Amino acid sequence: MLATLSFKLFMREIRSGYLTSMLLSLVLAVTIVSGISLFTDRLEKVLSSETQEFLGGDLKFESNDTSIKAVLETLNLKDSKSSEMAILASVIFSEEEMQLSSIKAVDNAYPLVGELELKNSSGTYKTTESPTPGNIWMDERLKNLLSLEYGDKIYLGDATFIFEATIIYEPDRGSTNFAFAPKTIMNIEDIDKTNLIQPGSRVEYNYLFTGSDEEISRIRNILEENRNQGDDIESLDEDDSSLGKTIDRSENFFLLGGLIAVLLSACTIGISSQRFARRHVSYVAILKTLGMNLFQIRGLYLLLFLYTTLLTLVLGLTFGWFLQSNFISLMDSYFPTELPAPSLYPLYVTCVTVLICQFGFIYPHISKLLDISPMRVLKNDISFNQNILPIFFMGLLAFLLLLYIYTNQITLSLIIFSGVIIFSFIGIGCIYLLLGKSKLGLGAQDPISLALSELRRRRLSNSFQIFAFTVAIGLSLITFSASKNLLGSWQDSIPENSPNNFAINITKEDKESMKVFLADKDIEVDLFYPVANAQIVRIKDKDDIIDRNFNITWVEDLPGQNAIVEGEWFQEGVDNGISISDEIAERYNLYIDDEIILQMEDGSIETYIQSIRAVNWESFSPNFFVIGHPSLFKEKSSTHITSFFIPEAKQKVAAELMREFRTVSVFSVEELIKQVRDIVNQVTKALNSILLLTCLSALFLAFSALQDGFDQRRHQAAILRTLGATGRFIRTSSLIEFSILGLVSGLLGSAIAQTGVYFIEARVFETIPGFYPEIWFMGPIIGILIVSGLCLYLVNGLMKQSPKDLLKLQT
Amino acid sequence: MILTTKNLRKEVPSGESNLVILDDITFNLEEGKSLAITGPSGSGKSTLLGLLAGLDTATSGEIVLDGIDLHLLNEEERAILRKDKVGFVFQSFELLPSLTALENVMLPSELKSEDNPRKKGEYFLERVGLSDRQKHYPNQLSGGEQQRVAIARAFACSAKILFADEPTGNLDPKNGKLISDLLFEVNSETDNALVIVTHDQDLASQCDKKIELKLGKIID
Repeated sequence: MLATLSFKLFMREIRSGYLTSMLLSLVLAVTIVSGISLFTDRLEKVLSSETQEFLGGDLKFESNDTSIKAVLETLNLKDSKSSEMAILASVIFSEEEMQLSSIKAVDNAYPLVGELELKNSSGTYKTTESPTPGNIWMDERLKNLLSLEYGDKIYLGDATFIFEATIIYEPDRGSTNFAFAPKTIMNIEDIDKTNLIQPGSRVEYNYLFTGSDEEISRIRNILEENRNQGDDIESLDEDDSSLGKTIDRSENFFLLGGLIAVLLSACTIGISSQRFARRHVSYVAILKTLGMNLFQIRGLYLLLFLYTTLLTLVLGLTFGWFLQSNFISLMDSYFPTELPAPSLYPLYVTCVTVLICQFGFIYPHISKLLDISPMRVLKNDISFNQNILPIFFMGLLAFLLLLYIYTNQITLSLIIFSGVIIFSFIGIGCIYLLLGKSKLGLGAQDPISLALSELRRRRLSNSFQIFAFTVAIGLSLITFSASKNLLGSWQDSIPENSPNNFAINITKEDKESMKVFLADKDIEVDLFYPVANAQIVRIKDKDDIIDRNFNITWVEDLPGQNAIVEGEWFQEGVDNGISISDEIAERYNLYIDDEIILQMEDGSIETYIQSIRAVNWESFSPNFFVIGHPSLFKEKSSTHITSFFIPEAKQKVAAELMREFRTVSVFSVEELIKQVRDIVNQVTKALNSILLLTCLSALFLAFSALQDGFDQRRHQAAILRTLGATGRFIRTSSLIEFSILGLVSGLLGSAIAQTGVYFIEARVFETIPGFYPEIWFMGPIIGILIVSGLCLYLVNGLMKQSPKDLLKLQT
Repeated sequence: MILTTKNLRKEVPSGESNLVILDDITFNLEEGKSLAITGPSGSGKSTLLGLLAGLDTATSGEIVLDGIDLHLLNEEERAILRKDKVGFVFQSFELLPSLTALENVMLPSELKSEDNPRKKGEYFLERVGLSDRQKHYPNQLSGGEQQRVAIARAFACSAKILFADEPTGNLDPKNGKLISDLLFEVNSETDNALVIVTHDQDLASQCDKKIELKLGKIID
């Protein structure tokens, strides 16, 4: 009986349209949550496997010697695999040509993840095996430079090999430094035959591991315990590549946009629920009068909301699936393969979101409704004066929970939560102070007096409306700002004609002639940065060697893409000091004025830390962890690095350059730049969909907040019109009143947006926060236009009805 | 004549056809006189009152109020006419819950931009015996008191004609008598015309003129 009755009630509510705004908001929330979490879940899966491929495994151990091998033999690998490779630079010879190459000698377990794509005279093919001893694979570019055909003999050190295939794609792109290109892959069993590795040779040994999380963690711990200075350990969660950062940042954009839209929907649900409860006062009172007990009434409404939940889940999940399909189709050119199926996590997040919305924003109103006395019917009293505080706090708690579920970061959740609350209360306080106490009378002499009087008279409800409008405007502006400013600055970081080629290993002798060579080809060159390798030792604790090698340069002027965050750049008259990146300052606890020793191949330098820099690593320019004052390095040997833009029409210049300057290696980042640009463009498109949904949620919220207030205004408007107020009078007065509400909400919304963007830039995207004047223009303008526009729509609806209809006179 | 109607007809859509609520209503009311409109529930009394007060529009026919062709006016013009010439008392009082008794009575004077709405409001509240309830909100007043505030508000309109829709309908007999007496008493102090819709035959009998409606038509 109860199920039938509640279903009838549900159908009646649907037909009457009273549930519309609540249903739409719930469906929108479910669509956004499921759509975004489905997408990011699948994106994370594909990224994880891509990062694993990029790294060549789950864990990589880098060393300059093989001393760790003794430890590895005791590892007793259970459910994991390992692979060893040696990386070195050497000159490779064909019958006619010679060329410096990066040699990667791999064992038979290579590749641990993914597969290689190769090409020989029969065409391209894929393989999961390493080259057999005696055979060698190399880059297409190297093949051309050495004028080789498949099957030709080539000479490396003391050994002779057969050139078997060219490398189209190798999975472990991250395993080698760009300093060693173009590339050759050979079997590690052949390395001794070449006699290339002699005492003092610069060889990098990589040990790669794949396996379960527990096993990888166990191996990592053992490696950490046994590492020597200069050894490095890298795992999947440390992907610092520009592509990895790009994807990571895109994911943050999606989550941020989604979170905002969900919070807006949650506010709308709260307001709609209050309206729902108000309309059901007499219904509950009648049911009680007719003998229904509290348990039955509670069951009736719980069932009603169960139907609502099921309907919203079915509709929202369907729309959510379409939303994520849309995102995927926007970005599918980036994904190399079919995306993996999603996990159950998005479904869990969606259901939890709906539950929080139900219990945080809907149930408190319904619970209060159950307290209604049946006497209300007899007294014809359908007013619903709830004690608003518990309901408000339940809503706030739900708001905070949603934040946490979505961000998974308690600090970030608390920052956003406190920001919204503080600014809203400041706004409410301002309104109270601004409006002062209400004066005698309604102030109906003229529209302006009536508008101001209404603002004063409805201070409490106006404050809550301002809260809703502020949240709507502020959060929409954050999403807008994210899509325009953050994405804009991201796009600007890769301007047109960014350097797409790097040249390294440039000797002092080659530097000048290379400048001339490139100038002849009309190619502009960035600075030639001297490069050397150094280790840092703290003077106060001489045993404390920073356990890695840094590429170090020395220049007089601060390079672009760098910003001093602490200390000062080298001043005139000072000829000492180094500048370090903020990452290594933080990682190794290095501070301004710390005295240090730079240990280099040809001697040490005693100096101190003069400044700390923020470096934009995503820029396609040479970047350095350590930059020293040039006067310190006068006697030091170095090679040079530079970057330049080669237009598509002059692509042959790179090969010509390498022929001309045999020891110089040139490699292109054109593909990477294109890939990053493509992703930024696709993310912009996808984020625009999120922006649209956020604006829709904000509009729902603003409309619900206004509609809620208009239930009370409907009666007043009817009486005023009966007493002779014209439609124009009421319309003008309402427009003035709501324009003021919109203006105040817009200003507060701008304050929330500016603060929000500041924290998002500083904390989420880790960029330098900016001040955005357009936020301060847009907030008030949007506030006035949207709020007064919606108000006009509702007032016009009232004006279409005769005062008699509004007062429901009986025939 | 303060009020003249001629062949007044009101239809409302009902499914595919139209339902006739009022048909061929013709009558006159002289200035300062009172008229009772009676009839069973659903006979169209309140609809007629709504048309006469300019709160609704007729399907056809004519209404002339204080020399103005009401049936030719649009809603904005009717609103101005209501402000200048009409007062209204509702069965369910229709006070604004967010305003005090005094503020409710001041409202018509405010809308007319009169000089001292407060003074006028206080006068009429005193006239209906509620001087001590000026600062009370409607929900703090009894039904009878609320209707007295509504009457004070109607008289504060300084209208030429006062319409009252079942003014005693929501009150007990004692309060009903009090209200009807008050209505006639205050009205006698002005030269307002008074049109009352009522079931109450005693109240109707106090009026100068009476028309009875049945199924939307005047019964002779």
